[in-house]
Amino acid sequence: MNWSEPQDFREWLSRLFSLRVILLAIAVYSLALAELRFDWVEQMLGAYLARTNSHRPQSGAIWEKGKDTLTARKTLEQIVTDRESTQRLARGAETLSEIAEALVPSHGVMVSAAHFRDLYLELPAAVAGDIASPFELLRIQSSGRWERTYFRKFGRSIKIFLLDMENRVLRELTVPPDLLGRLQQRQDFSQGVLEDFPHLKNRIYRAGRFFEALADQPEEIRRSILPAPERILALSRPITRVGVSDEALTGFVDIGLEFESEGKTMVMVLQARDWAVWRLRLDLEAAAPPLPEETEIDTGGTL
Amino acid sequence: MSFAFGLLRKLRLLFYLSVLFAGIAAAAAVGLFFVVLEELPKIPHPLSRIIETPPTEIFAADGQRVMVLGGREAVPLSRVSHHFINAVIATEDHRFWDHHGIDKLRTLKALYVTFFEPGKIQGASTITQQLAKNLFFSFERSWLRKFKEMLVAVQIESSYSKEEILEAYVNQIAFGVGAYGIEQAAHIFFGVPAADLTLSEAALLAGLPKSPTRYNPYRHFERARQRQRIVLIRMADVGYVPPEDARTAAQQELVLEPLRSSARSGSYFLDLVIDSLETQYGAQVVYHGGLKVFTTLDPQLQAWAVASVQDGLATLDGELGVLKAEADRRPQGALAAVETRSGAVKAMVGGRDYAETEYNRAVYSQRLPGSGFKPFVYYAAFETENLHPATVAVDRPVRIPVVGARDWEPQNFSRRYRGPMILKRAFTQSVNTIAAQIVEQAGPDAVIQAAQKCGIQSPLSPVYSVALGTSGVSPLEMASAFATFATGGIRHDPFWIQRVEDAYGHVLEERIVSGRKSLNPEITYQVVDMMQAVIENGTGEVIRRLGFRLPAAGKTGTTNDFRDAWFTGFTPTLSCSVWVGFDREDGLRDRNGRGVTGGRGAAPIWADFMKRAFEGEPAREFPVPDNIRFTAVDPRTGKPAGPSDPGAVQVALRPGQTPDGRILGSPALLPPGFDRRQEAP
Repeated sequence: MNWSEPQDFREWLSRLFSLRVILLAIAVYSLALAELRFDWVEQMLGAYLARTNSHRPQSGAIWEKGKDTLTARKTLEQIVTDRESTQRLARGAETLSEIAEALVPSHGVMVSAAHFRDLYLELPAAVAGDIASPFELLRIQSSGRWERTYFRKFGRSIKIFLLDMENRVLRELTVPPDLLGRLQQRQDFSQGVLEDFPHLKNRIYRAGRFFEALADQPEEIRRSILPAPERILALSRPITRVGVSDEALTGFVDIGLEFESEGKTMVMVLQARDWAVWRLRLDLEAAAPPLPEETEIDTGGTL
Repeated sequence: MSFAFGLLRKLRLLFYLSVLFAGIAAAAAVGLFFVVLEELPKIPHPLSRIIETPPTEIFAADGQRVMVLGGREAVPLSRVSHHFINAVIATEDHRFWDHHGIDKLRTLKALYVTFFEPGKIQGASTITQQLAKNLFFSFERSWLRKFKEMLVAVQIESSYSKEEILEAYVNQIAFGVGAYGIEQAAHIFFGVPAADLTLSEAALLAGLPKSPTRYNPYRHFERARQRQRIVLIRMADVGYVPPEDARTAAQQELVLEPLRSSARSGSYFLDLVIDSLETQYGAQVVYHGGLKVFTTLDPQLQAWAVASVQDGLATLDGELGVLKAEADRRPQGALAAVETRSGAVKAMVGGRDYAETEYNRAVYSQRLPGSGFKPFVYYAAFETENLHPATVAVDRPVRIPVVGARDWEPQNFSRRYRGPMILKRAFTQSVNTIAAQIVEQAGPDAVIQAAQKCGIQSPLSPVYSVALGTSGVSPLEMASAFATFATGGIRHDPFWIQRVEDAYGHVLEERIVSGRKSLNPEITYQVVDMMQAVIENGTGEVIRRLGFRLPAAGKTGTTNDFRDAWFTGFTPTLSCSVWVGFDREDGLRDRNGRGVTGGRGAAPIWADFMKRAFEGEPAREFPVPDNIRFTAVDPRTGKPAGPSDPGAVQVALRPGQTPDGRILGSPALLPPGFDRRQEAP
């Protein structure tokens, strides 16, 4: 089709108002009107953007804030998890050494006063007495203010805080590393014979001889060797042999009591004051030397 | 005819150019769309996620919430006054319910104004666009940012209902004075929930987001009211309220809720809490973790502390002749109050006005305590030299040789010398020459040790002048260290956070209140007894004159040229230290050139605070250790005096100590005419 410029006004008008132009104008006008009325461009754009939303970056102030919140939550969750796991271990602990092992330097653990008392009563009397005097605990307990007990690791020691309801310290106890070592060494009832314990096997006495010598000692020495004889009496089993360690650790010497229980040989290890043990050993060895390793077990000694 | 043809040709050219331009613009827009598409942010789902950040809340010791950090107090749209919703829509975007994120007519008009009316810029952002901008974009002005904002607004409209958009919007608007979201704003400005806002209140609040600082009703009330009237007119124009209701609302009296004084007055304390939390957990956890922080702050004591400091400083302004307008010439003050039996910080004022200066002088300033340090000096001498309050010393010129420096020649405040007197008298009258002789005998190291045992942690120089407080300390340190005297020698470190929990109530940390036996209780009591005498008849007797009657002990402190004025004192339960002075190196002198001492500048603030704090409380005496006995002595000779002797002074003595007139110092130091054998056989 050849294009030529209109030559007169009529031709201008006829071209301007031709059907094609009018239809085009109506179409354009309708589109514009429809856009103004129905926002179809925005609708289409919006729908497209919504569909592609998941592929776009999490950028902008709100996402940054969200990331901060997420990181903060994770950090807090980690702190809480760490604390709670230690706390759970402490609450489920059946011995004080379990709590000591669970402690980490960053935070302590809290248990009830009653739980601490139970753990304390489970300790050998010598160790318990070195942590706190039972009379002191009685005094604090009778004040009616002792509610909770807080354990915290300080270097190689452990501090135990007896607290009231407002977290005020009623008494602060320190368990130094050596005492901690004695706590962790403690193995009341282990299956085996005295010879299984290298530090006990050099000095093994017949139980009868041992307890006779013990009975001849003054009360102070007897109590320093066996501060709680009721616990041994409560075994209701005949003690067969007694092993005495050659080594003293921070003023204490291990003593092993061997006994039979339900067809098994068991050993109970106790801690005794070293000076008292030396005295007892003098009497024991003056009367008769320790049993040689191959000596047959004499089951005559009972308690 | 040819003219008409020419015109038609030009019109035709214009038409084709327009079509071409529109085509290019459309192509450019499509191209730009695909270019920026990758950069557009992902929109969270649901949109309410924006208000899910849990706030960190800080509580006072009585459980009152004193601060909220981060987080938003969001409310559903159903709990927002319809007046406010209408006001916001009428003001910000009256075609909100009709458009799809972009108000095209308004945008065209704004473009026209921007291009063809030089110097004018008209905004056309819809509520959805504003929401998109606040959530995802910076406040940088650029065409590209505007284009992205429009696209995000369109997507928001396609993804969420109008109600959801409006709810998100009203919950994140900034209203100024720390108010974000309508619920918080309604509480802060009018003390009501968002649901209860009246038309008048709603219109005022709806006017603020345009410029929260410019229309801040606490600072520019009339300007804010003017803006409120514009909002009401818009509401009437749009048809949301009848014109007469708008007029009535415009004339209604508006009573603003006072800005929460406890939070403001405790701002120095709260800063300290936030600093500690940030050190412990990091800023991210503090501002986004939703912690619950239980502090030791006593809001009532705090309010009284602020009032006492401000009243005291206002009085001092008058005495110094300083005008209120001369902000930088006015003296500053600080106060720290500590519970003696735990170390819990109960109140803290770090300056005269937090809005003026946020520097916390109660904790971070290191000011010389002057004679306020003498309790440590006397304690050290009593402990290491077995001196006692009845030991006699001579107030006389003193020259103490210092290796490698000029001899130290301390002067008394009064520049006079009063001859022999017992140490208790020397302490209550704050005699510097005797304190100097004591430190010469005991040695500066003993003094430093005593101060450190009490809890002073700032570095102290091992020089003789340490006796007169020449090493800087903070009011919090002083209050805490004096608390060690109040408890008979049991030291508690100061603390301000009792417990921290996460948003679900798991305990992250809790304070164990542990005291350490630091001082000998009997010697401590001897010092406390002397400090009580300071208040009864010494340099701090203004405390009694001002009406504080309960048993208390304390010590004034004033430094060279009156640069620092201190009073630190305690009852058996509360220890408080007050410092007054200039931030710069100026002295406190009144209009007559007379210097302001601790007794004059700081003690009145202390007395005022303690009077308020202990109103109605019973008198609690300081417990006297079993071995302490009291004896009346002659204050000049230190020898026993009869109970009826006028001027006899009661002193507290430990076992083995007798008031025998023993004289401090070596004979070589005694002044001529004072025969040791005659005076102290």
